[in-house]
Amino acid sequence: MNVLVGAALLVGLFVVLPAVAHLLRRGRASVEPFPPVSLVPAARTVARRKRRIEDRLLLSVRAATVLLLAVLGATPLVNCSRLSLGRGAGGSVALAIVLDDSLSMRAKSSSGSARWDRALEAAEELLASAREGDSVALVLAGKPARVALGATTDLGLARRTLSELSPSDRATDLGAAVGLARSALVDPARRDRRLVVLSDFAAEAPPPGEPRVWAPVPALTEPLPDCGVVAAESRENGVRVTLACNDPGAARNRAVELVLLKGSGVEPSSAPGPKRPTAQTALARAEIEPRVGVQTVMLDPKATKDALAVRLSGSDSLIEDDLAPVASETRAMKVAVLGSPAEQQGPTGGPPLLEQAIGALQAGVTVTPLSVLPDQATELTPYALLVLDDPAGIGPEARDALTAHVSKGAVAAAFLGPRVEATKLGSALEPFARGSVRWQADPQVLGVSPPSLAWLGEEAASLRDLDLRGRTLFDAGTMSGARVLGTMADGAPFLVEQRMGRGTLLTVTLPCSLEQSDLALRPGFVALLAHLVDTAERSRGVRQSVAGAAWAFDSDRPLVQGPNGPVDLRDTPEQGWVASPAVRGLYRVKGDKHDELRTVVLDPAEVTAQPSPPPPGLREPPVRGGAGSVDVSSETALLLVLLLALELGLRFVRGARSQPVDAPEPLR
Amino acid sequence: MKLAASLDWGALLPLRLRAQGAAVGAMAGAHRSVRRGAGVEFAGHRAYTPGDDLRFLDRHALMRHGTLALREFETETDRAILFLLDSTASMGFRGRRAPAAKLAVAAVIAAAIGYIATRGGDRIALEWLGAGENQGLAARGGSPSFEALVAALERATPGGELGRQELERALSRAARAKAGSVTIVLSDLLDFPDGAAEELAALASSGRTLLVIQVLDPDEVELPFVGPVRLQALEGDLVVDTDASEVRALYLEELARLTARWSAVLASRGSRLLRVVSSDDPIEIVRQALAAIAGGRG
Repeated sequence: MNVLVGAALLVGLFVVLPAVAHLLRRGRASVEPFPPVSLVPAARTVARRKRRIEDRLLLSVRAATVLLLAVLGATPLVNCSRLSLGRGAGGSVALAIVLDDSLSMRAKSSSGSARWDRALEAAEELLASAREGDSVALVLAGKPARVALGATTDLGLARRTLSELSPSDRATDLGAAVGLARSALVDPARRDRRLVVLSDFAAEAPPPGEPRVWAPVPALTEPLPDCGVVAAESRENGVRVTLACNDPGAARNRAVELVLLKGSGVEPSSAPGPKRPTAQTALARAEIEPRVGVQTVMLDPKATKDALAVRLSGSDSLIEDDLAPVASETRAMKVAVLGSPAEQQGPTGGPPLLEQAIGALQAGVTVTPLSVLPDQATELTPYALLVLDDPAGIGPEARDALTAHVSKGAVAAAFLGPRVEATKLGSALEPFARGSVRWQADPQVLGVSPPSLAWLGEEAASLRDLDLRGRTLFDAGTMSGARVLGTMADGAPFLVEQRMGRGTLLTVTLPCSLEQSDLALRPGFVALLAHLVDTAERSRGVRQSVAGAAWAFDSDRPLVQGPNGPVDLRDTPEQGWVASPAVRGLYRVKGDKHDELRTVVLDPAEVTAQPSPPPPGLREPPVRGGAGSVDVSSETALLLVLLLALELGLRFVRGARSQPVDAPEPLR
Repeated sequence: MKLAASLDWGALLPLRLRAQGAAVGAMAGAHRSVRRGAGVEFAGHRAYTPGDDLRFLDRHALMRHGTLALREFETETDRAILFLLDSTASMGFRGRRAPAAKLAVAAVIAAAIGYIATRGGDRIALEWLGAGENQGLAARGGSPSFEALVAALERATPGGELGRQELERALSRAARAKAGSVTIVLSDLLDFPDGAAEELAALASSGRTLLVIQVLDPDEVELPFVGPVRLQALEGDLVVDTDASEVRALYLEELARLTARWSAVLASRGSRLLRVVSSDDPIEIVRQALAAIAGGRG
């Protein structure tokens, strides 16, 4: 408060002091018991009549006028807990609000308010202080970070968008969210840019950069004890429950219990909105250890055939993660690799390059080398992905088995090499290639055309200058339904995709062997294998994923029903229909080719991470004197004009009448 | 309130209760009876009738006039004293300068007169004016009756208002008193129902003596407040905002008018109004009361 503000406030004394003096002088008549009061005549004294306020309404209007003048002189004056945008230069402001909608924001403090509610309230206050011409962007920091509303000057739209937001069970992706928010603030028309982060900062600190982050609600980082069920999976020997705690106190005297799924609140439901779990008798129970971190508990379902759920007894600050459905057993995806180990071994020894590259993906898959391609389709059933390196033809029985397996939804890929010209009698390269397939030695090409593989990502550029000693040539046009996904520099096919039933066949015209090319040493090769694994995963169907992970359906639009009702799907050109279930629970996916149950689990780091208060510098508003003050100049001035008009109206109606002072008269 | 410690009882010893009217008592006492009998004061002659006591035959009249005449003497009997005490809430008022509440002062006066009466062989009775739960006393004589009177007065608590029903109940009992009895009303005469003065004055009929003692607090007599004041009644919810300095004279006129009206109504029936202030000497008040009773008309 500077001198001018103080001087303006002193104007208010012109109202306060006369009022106090009047009250002191007026005094109050003492109340006295007096039996013969009926004999005492009532009378109003001359002094009281002199002190009597003749026109209370007019006095009130004038007093309010003086007070408003004082407020107007001291504006911005009102210090309160409301957040507002300060305006350093006085121009319009570009505002980006990062709202953390991760699981930890659902935690409730001892006062009963959730972090999410407080963050939402702060965002609404900031929006309320925005003026016409300010641009607002809303970014959500739940993993993956998303732009809820691009930069817009439509403040009404921003408020509506804000009112439609809801918390989720996602992990935190604050770094990416801050990056998105900064990119939304690139607007040369507005030099005053603000980046507000409303998060508990449980996962990571906001990355440095410009504009700097402003974390105006430090109360969000108050530590709140929590234990949660991360995942529960049915195994042969029982139900394996994974728990996480961020505070030993939250785990003390608590147990994990096995209950029936029906009525638990995490089963698929057609009715939207969260439901509370019903009280059920526990089928099995086990105490949990009072420690911080992740722990695993095994529960015996006692031969129960019904669907089950797991809950934590007691309560903590976050009840949403105290209940989880028990997922059916999910095995790691198996990949079969058929090749010649002697020819594919890398220069440093060890497993074949193909196996090493698939293992390097860290996709959680199990690689199984095959010596021969099985003749029975049932032998291929465990493998969602089959990779053949430089096959020397496929026999009729093996071809039938492969075709049947792929038609059921598997993915098979063949890296064709020089052995395409050494096919045995009765063998062929079908269904990967038909017609004339030949090996061309010393081709005079500079490798793969990166633009044709742009969908592969940045790694496609690494395939530009390959050291080729040969390549496979065949006419993809003779294969019905074949689609060339990538070409060599001279336009010959490099990668050909065919749809077969519910599965996919992929043909690569280069082998993995280092003797024929350095393809296997390029990053693009790993990206190509990742594409194969992703395709197989999608075709196989993800049975269990972390909240916020995308489910892609490249065929018809399925119906995805989760604990909170149907899940919205969006149509994307790259992946088809995509659903991102953000709430943990059991989901039923129904479509022409799907009818399965999937489970959404939590990221354990989201439960174990403790909030870390932002550095003091980030708590301060970017503009001095901006936050916490409400500029009411325009409203005050408008009210002042109204009061002056009201006084004029009163004087006009009543005239300048003055009450005559009479002699004291008894009232009776 | 302890009556025994609030009065100089020795100062009451020379005092006697005397009423001008003759009493109609059944017991021997100190008062002149309407009946003739064994007394010392000559009351006249009457003709002899057979059966009369020959001891009162006037032999001088027989010898001088030759007729049988009988000498008659005045006899002395007891008298009933009824106390009607006002126990309404206004009697509980005690101003800043008063030694006690009005009810306490009235009780002291009643006790003192009762003491004098019982010492003279009179019977005393007590009745309350008001809606309280105070217990009355039937007419009895002797020391036990005085002790019962003192106990009843000490237990008295002010409260309630005097309605028409309570007034009629008290007056109906007082009206049953025999000729020659004395009724002493002790009250502030405030907030009485309309017509109460006339109904009370009617007690002074049929040979009965009525004395009304108006007991007021010094504050009620002077209205000592200064400046703006809000006055609240003790009976009812009347509240008056006024300036005491300005309305004092008007109030005193009203109070005097009230007293004069009561006095006039009582005087029309031969009874008297005695106005006392609670700060006055109670012995002096008793003397004035006895004098008023003695000067009253039966």
